Order: sequence, then structure tokens, then C-alpha cells
Amino acid sequence: MEKRWNNRAWLMVLPMLVLVAFSAVIPLMTVVNYSVQDTFGNNVFFWAGTEWFEEILHSDRFWEAMGRNLIFSAIILAIEIPLGIFIALNMPRKGWGVPVCLVLMALPLLIPWNVVGTIWQVFGRIDIGLLGYTVDALGFDYNYVQDPFDAWVTIILMDVWHWTSLVVLLCYAGLVSIPDAYYQAAKIDGASRWAIFRFIQLPKMNRVLLIAVLLRFMDSFMIYTEPFVVTGGGPGNSTTFLSIDLVKIAVGQFDLGPAAAMSIIYFLIILLLSWVFYTVMTNYDAER
Amino acid sequence: MTTTRRWPLALLGVIAGFAVLLGLLVATVPSKDGVRDWTAPLVPGHWMAWTFPTATFFLVILLLLSLMAVWEYAAPGGNPRVGLLRFETTRGDRLFISLLGSAFIHLAWLGLIGPNLWWALALSIVYAVGVFRFV
Repeated sequence: MEKRWNNRAWLMVLPMLVLVAFSAVIPLMTVVNYSVQDTFGNNVFFWAGTEWFEEILHSDRFWEAMGRNLIFSAIILAIEIPLGIFIALNMPRKGWGVPVCLVLMALPLLIPWNVVGTIWQVFGRIDIGLLGYTVDALGFDYNYVQDPFDAWVTIILMDVWHWTSLVVLLCYAGLVSIPDAYYQAAKIDGASRWAIFRFIQLPKMNRVLLIAVLLRFMDSFMIYTEPFVVTGGGPGNSTTFLSIDLVKIAVGQFDLGPAAAMSIIYFLIILLLSWVFYTVMTNYDAER
Repeated sequence: MTTTRRWPLALLGVIAGFAVLLGLLVATVPSKDGVRDWTAPLVPGHWMAWTFPTATFFLVILLLLSLMAVWEYAAPGGNPRVGLLRFETTRGDRLFISLLGSAFIHLAWLGLIGPNLWWALALSIVYAVGVFRFV
């Protein structure tokens, strides 16, 4: 049967195009317009050219926030990925323990980000928080409000608590898809626990691990709500990530020009990462 | 790969459309004492704060997308191939890589050299040609 093209089908995507135009394209165009102008309010604008871009690219504040973002992403990946694999490997594969573990793992993922922030803000307080009070009572000088190191420990713990479950669930999905025949063959060959992990489980988890690493990297690179609720970017600027800094400039200082320029640079970095993510995923699929 | 012979007509239509839109845009640029102020807001007091340079920027993006549509009309299929990056890219992918790379070239130029972006634009064009040729 001859395949026929029906161009009327394009009409079906029209509502989505309109929605995207209103929610993404028009705001993005406005940001581009603001990034080359200055304003003091009342929709009165003055041409500034590339001044805001130069200011952002030469600002220590921007690069420090970027550095903090990259360090944060590296730390949480270094913790969450091995921990997620470890937990997934030790989760039961049969019996009543499976649904219990899965529900327990899914719970942190169901909690809204601002609620997670509030939970940890209270949890870490030395006067009423269980974590803060206990650590303080044990003799450690812990105070995430005043000490940058403690603030970092708190937000890293919070992220690990919130998002390791995602890595666990992805790894678990990869592990349960391995046929029993692989394990039986390994048993016959007398393979050690490590050999089973290295040559059977890890290669079979490759794909989900790739998804986990890229998802967690991108999420952590765009993180805003949780650290903002816990530390507000402080003490000082020690936990001010790019997104927090952007909101401070745009909403706090009402510097729309520099904020727009920073948004565009941030957007381009995220776009590049998304493209790498998409390309790696689609090519990995194609190779398989 | 099949080609259509009517693509020059589509190309002509896109170029004519672009010329008309650019003409309209130029006509809306405000004048002061008979001299056009190319960087003044096109619609004073409007929240989107359009100016001639930013409107032209988006118009050029629209032109590029329309030209890609004409190219696809002329030679359907997207011309997928494996190039320098060692994975398959269509000409749409190559346009995306060109535009994204050009944005970073301009930012790098601004950050490392200075505000005169004409050389960055020239470098971006060379880069885009390279991408379309080898990627």
C-alpha cells in the first residue's frame, strides 16, 4: 500500500506550538532583549550593547558560583552513584521485602523540593533539629547557619537523602533485568562476588548508570529550591549557586540587564549539557 | 534521495519574505532629527523592549530555519551521515551544533578579547561551514 502524507496533521501540533511560544519562546526573546539594555523600571529601556555580558564574564561572583556548582555536582555524584549501586545490589529480589524497599526508596522522591528544604532546615538546627541537636550534643561544633563547611555538609547530606533513591531505583531496574542464567554460569565458573559485579552486573547497569549520572549532574547543576530554603545561599556566599545568584540579581537587586545576560549564559551551558545528554543517550541506544 | 525541482521557488519565497520583514523592521526604527536611532526601543514603553538589533537577530534565526525547511523540501531525508564526531548527524543537528558553537565563540570572544564581535562572527561562519562540511 502506498504511504500517503497528510499535512493536515501539522494542525495537531499547533496547540503545543502556541503553548511553547507563550511559555518559552516569548519569555526567552524578552530575556534576550533585556540582556542588551538597561532599565530603571516603568518599561523605560536604554541600550547597553554587550556590556552586561562582559560584566558577567569578567565577574568573580559568577565564576565563583559556577565553581561552587561544579564542586557540588562532583561531590554528590561521587557519593550518590556508588551509594546507589551499593544499596541496589543489597536490595532483595524476591519476597515481601521488594515492595517495602521500593516504597521506602520512592518516598524521598515524592516530597516536593521546598518541603525537603524545610525538613532539612529544621532537622539541622542546633536548638530544635534532631540532627543539629544530636551532633552538637556529641561535642561537634556544628552550626550550618554560621559555618560554611557545616552548610555544605548539610546541603550535600540533604541532596544525598533526596536523590540517591533515584540512582538506587535505576540501578535496581538494571539489576533485575539480568537473566538468572548469567548468575548460574558465573556460579559454575566459580566467579567471586567481585567478578560477578565487575563482569556481569556493572556492564548490564551501564545504560541506567549513564542515565543516572547525566540526570543527577544536570539536576544538581540547576539546583535552586533546596539549598535556597536551607541556607539562602549563605553563610556569606558559600552556598550561592548559579541559580540562587541569578535570582538574587534579578529579583533582589532588580538588575534585569545583568540578570538577563547571566540567564542566557546559564541557558547556553544547560543547553550544551542537554545536547550532550541527548546525544550520548541516543547514540548509546543506536550502538546497542 | 528524491529531490524536487520546485525548491528555487520556495527559496525565492523565503528570501522575499525575509526582505519584506526586514524592510518593515527598518521602517519601524525610530528617528530623531531625521537620523535613525538603530538601538532605540522599537515600541517605547513596551515590556518586551524590542530593538532593531535583537529583532534582526531573531529574524535571522527564523531565516535560517526557513532555509533549512527549503533545503529539506529540495532534498528530503535530512542527509544523515557519520562525520568527525563519529556519530550520525542530520543537517538539522549540524545547524544546532553550528548555532550553539557560535554562541560560545561569541561569549569566549567577549570574555577574552573584547566587545568588537565582527571577528567572532567571521570565526563563527568559518566554524559553521566546517561543521556542515565535516561533522
